[in-house]
Amino acid sequence: MPKILVFSTEKISDPAIDLAGLLKKHYPYTVYTISVPCSSCIKPRWIMHAYEKGFDGVFIAADGSDCSYGESCSDRTAEVVATTHRLMKEKGLKPSQLKMAAICSVCAEPFVKHITSFMKDLSQKEN
Amino acid sequence: MKKKIGVYVCHCGGNISDHVDIEKVKAAVRDEADVYLVKNTLFACADSSQKEIGSDIENEHLDAIVVASCSPKLHLNTFRGVAQRAGLNPYNYVQVNIREQSSWAHSDNKTGATEKAILLVKAGIAKAKESEALQSLKIPAANVVAVIGAGVGGMKTAIGLADMGTEVYLIEKDFFVGGRTPQWGTVSPNGDEGAILTEKLYKEVVRRPNITLFTGAELVEKSGSIGNFDLKIALRPRFVSGNPSTEAMQRAAEACPVAVKDDFNFGLTNRRAFMLPAQGQFPQVPAIDQSACTRCGECTAACHEVDLTQEVQTITLHVGAFVVNTGFDPYQPAQGEYGYGELDNVITLPQFRRLMEMNESELVFNGKKIKKIAYIYCVGSRQDDDEGNTYCSRYCCTATSLTAVLAKKKFGNIINFHFNRGIRTYGKHELVYEAASKQGDIFLQFSLKSIPQIEKRGNKTYVKVKDILTAGKELETEADLIVLVTGMVPRKNELLAQQLKIPTGRDHFFNEIHMKLRPVETVIDGVLIAGTCQSPKNILETVNSSMAAAAKINSVLTKGELSLEPTLAKVNPAACDWCDNCSKACPFDAILQTEINGKKVARVNESNCKGCGMCTPVCPTDAIDLAGYTNAQVESMIDALAEA
Amino acid sequence: MEIQQETCINESLYDVLVIGAGIAGEESALKLADMGYRVLLVEKEPSIGGKMILLSKVFPTLDCAACITTPKVSETARHPNITILTLTEVEEIVRDTKNRFSVTLKKKPRYVVEKDCTGCQECEKACPAIVNDQFQFNLTARKAVYIPFTIANPRVALIDIDNCLLCGACEKACPSNCIDFTQKEEQLKITAKSVIVSTGFKLFDPIQIERYGFGRYKNVITSMQMERQLAPTRPFNNILRPSDGKVPDKIAYVFCAGSRDHTVGNPICSQVCCMYSTKQAQLLMGALPMADVSLYYINIRAFGKGFDEFYEQAKDMGAKYVKGKIASITEKENGNLILRYEDIATGKVTEKEHDLVVLSVGILANPGITRVFKKERLETDALNYIRQTDLLQSPAITSIEGVFAAGTATAPMDIPDTIMSAGAAATETSSYLARLS
Repeated sequence: MPKILVFSTEKISDPAIDLAGLLKKHYPYTVYTISVPCSSCIKPRWIMHAYEKGFDGVFIAADGSDCSYGESCSDRTAEVVATTHRLMKEKGLKPSQLKMAAICSVCAEPFVKHITSFMKDLSQKEN
Repeated sequence: MKKKIGVYVCHCGGNISDHVDIEKVKAAVRDEADVYLVKNTLFACADSSQKEIGSDIENEHLDAIVVASCSPKLHLNTFRGVAQRAGLNPYNYVQVNIREQSSWAHSDNKTGATEKAILLVKAGIAKAKESEALQSLKIPAANVVAVIGAGVGGMKTAIGLADMGTEVYLIEKDFFVGGRTPQWGTVSPNGDEGAILTEKLYKEVVRRPNITLFTGAELVEKSGSIGNFDLKIALRPRFVSGNPSTEAMQRAAEACPVAVKDDFNFGLTNRRAFMLPAQGQFPQVPAIDQSACTRCGECTAACHEVDLTQEVQTITLHVGAFVVNTGFDPYQPAQGEYGYGELDNVITLPQFRRLMEMNESELVFNGKKIKKIAYIYCVGSRQDDDEGNTYCSRYCCTATSLTAVLAKKKFGNIINFHFNRGIRTYGKHELVYEAASKQGDIFLQFSLKSIPQIEKRGNKTYVKVKDILTAGKELETEADLIVLVTGMVPRKNELLAQQLKIPTGRDHFFNEIHMKLRPVETVIDGVLIAGTCQSPKNILETVNSSMAAAAKINSVLTKGELSLEPTLAKVNPAACDWCDNCSKACPFDAILQTEINGKKVARVNESNCKGCGMCTPVCPTDAIDLAGYTNAQVESMIDALAEA
Repeated sequence: MEIQQETCINESLYDVLVIGAGIAGEESALKLADMGYRVLLVEKEPSIGGKMILLSKVFPTLDCAACITTPKVSETARHPNITILTLTEVEEIVRDTKNRFSVTLKKKPRYVVEKDCTGCQECEKACPAIVNDQFQFNLTARKAVYIPFTIANPRVALIDIDNCLLCGACEKACPSNCIDFTQKEEQLKITAKSVIVSTGFKLFDPIQIERYGFGRYKNVITSMQMERQLAPTRPFNNILRPSDGKVPDKIAYVFCAGSRDHTVGNPICSQVCCMYSTKQAQLLMGALPMADVSLYYINIRAFGKGFDEFYEQAKDMGAKYVKGKIASITEKENGNLILRYEDIATGKVTEKEHDLVVLSVGILANPGITRVFKKERLETDALNYIRQTDLLQSPAITSIEGVFAAGTATAPMDIPDTIMSAGAAATETSSYLARLS
């Protein structure tokens, strides 16, 4: 089964992932989460490190417009993704191995949907 | 690098151990480098376990600890406290979430959940190894609170805070305080009047020198964070200065040629653009409705206090926190919902209460004497998922039973038919339902699958229902008036929602952090919620939650200082070449330029830094890091999670 | 040592005396202590945490009750501004000439030196006297020397002297020598500037309703007994019916046992039973996937935030809600029970067989504390709850100035409402104390 690393945010998307657990909304167990304060602080080198170490996909559960640190969060996070995509291209990784979606603090269901379909995409590509 | 790490794996009763093999987790991490001890515990958060962890830290000289239990949202601070009391820096503590993100999320797969838990704990250990002791920062905090909304809840929050020594700005969007309560007339079986309650509270508010009340006021801008928020408040002009006499007010209102629907009476009557305060609304000073006023000037002649030259004023305030008490709106039925807007004798419960107030001894609507009233419950509440509001609005069963009792008492010859979906007069409210039943009211029950049908035949209106209480028999009754028992929806206030960014739930009400642990706090530090903006409540419940919010925020601000999370950005001057990227990225102006040995480098202003880390990915030389999220920490966590 | 401590307590002046250390008392105490007030928290039981700490999970979030309540319990226990006295009852409260309350307390002996006990339970193992365990609602037995329950706070043993054989086995077994039979009941006098009454509620005892057969039929149990069977610290690690230890597969809930019932003197709704029964039904369906769970109700009071959705969820999971009042319960030879009721859906009198019946017992006022107030009267309402003299404006105010009420001492309420009410009482008390000084 493919392995996904999720970057969640402490105040917004991580509570949603918690809520998914609380509601027993199951998703593949090979999804691992590292929680950070804000999605705009994720360094491209961390994402590249994950691929290097064997993760098949990285999912950024972004704050979106709910970010408590301000409106620039979405643009900054988009920049992180753009930079990472450039680095991925250099290493011959497919852009589809990095996904981002805004996950609000109660978006348990959307999170599970995103992660399940990401998992499906990744396993199809592997076959 | 930490060399003596204690790891505690929590069973959480069975919440974790039912789906995660704790022994396997222990065995898997026991031999990790630098792990000194591994223990399991039934409830890591229980006092006895906390003591055990504390004495391990002291006796075994642990230099970092990892607790694998529930979400850090619940207990991060609990265990940081354990560490601190035992003399370990709280930031050498790492919490690993193996409940919400492993045992519960993968309760369908014990092997998978266990495997994931093992890797999560290993990542936690990796993070702990790289953890650094951090000192939290103390900043001055203003013991001043902005209370938004001056209904009963907002006024109680303000009074409570003021009496405990907190300075209050009470900010009301409307020109009058009192909110929804004065519209209801009698609000309890004991005969308490809404208007009298708001009058008492208003007097208490103005009596207190440490409450400043702003009416016609709206928050238009907010910056800063808990302890130190800066606000811009727009004050709409009232166009009336001073205190005009009652006669002058009346004359001016009569002189005003512009008539619009009166919101206070939910559109049952008209009012003038020159607005007079209703009973229970304060201050009892008129205001001119700018959106309706044609500036004809007729009122100026009748009332010298009118001043049409007034303009919007903007003021700035500095506060330590907010309590949001913005209340509710009654659900507005859709056109045609149970004949609403189509039949002339279908009104909502709030409209009916105004009608009751406006009628003296006889109940008349649209010129027709009313005898038979059909109340249709759960309009806008307990709807299907795809339709909208799935929640119960809580107050309406009691309010309607009380309304029926009051209507019969006031107007005598009334027959009340209650078309309900199961009466929910919880607690002591049961006695109100009992009183309605005893006076001969008729209760019929329907299900969502088969809602009452309203039919007009000739000039008569009939309500037909399949009554659950008589084994599904189809019954029909004539009704002179149909009252739709409308639920509560959160009061529309987009500007405020935009400014404060409080998360809402599926029901669109503001969401608390935790219903039981932190019921009046939101995920935004320093922004609290109380009253019906959080969920439907009656007056008593609104008052309780408002005073609970007052207690909470007072206990935070009363010391005049706050300790801030020390997870802040940190610059490595040796690597920094000052390119300005980080300071441009920072939304809080927390990065300044400084010179070290003649070299221009970035410096973090710690009291402005909020620890978001937006500055870190933009640095071309990787010279800026967020404490707690350094490359070493995150990358070693990734290494651990990547283990096959 | 002992004497010194006593003098210290005797001399103490507290800002607030909080009576009852359930969740309401804890919340009020914590808020006031955080504001800097000195609080004395008095609890008659050997452990703090009230009834909530004994529950399984809580509605409508299904959080485990222990996970929510234990951190508050430990925060209370170690707060520098809070002093806790367990096994202590208030004997008398009277206003003194300085407008303070002079309070007499009675501290019952634990027969165990609290500070020396490590909670190792060696004494329990050694004790030969076996009695019903009241903290498991008599589902299991305990020893005469015992720790109340796993997550008790303080987690310290005590001796139930009424059932003790005085054999001394515990004394010999105790590795830290903390058994002390010489302890005596102590009378303590303290002064408090204000009082919060958070004495909670009593559970309805269904033995009063003969037609349900509680006490006669072994397989008719109360919801609190079921709560214990579902709790993380549960006695059996499974759901068992009492008569033969069989895992039940046709479970019935009888709602409104002791609520909305003039014949037992409690005409009001208890506000929590519909939802806790719905919660138990969900937990049971999780624990026993094959079991049939039927809930016999009059009206479902699913009124709070997320409650109605929770009720709908239970129905979706397969809980059978039957509208009908139970007329009688009879027992068959195999221990199964026949429920006779009028099925409102059909209008017919119907009988159904179940192998376990849970009575959703209501909550009652617990007005005993009113007796300790001397010279002034702490008034109660018609239902024996502490009377809220300014119900809508200041719900925490009582008939005595400086005495406030929090939680279910004033009315039935659920946990979130209790927490709010306790917060309100803290504000009211703090405002009063500010006026005093």
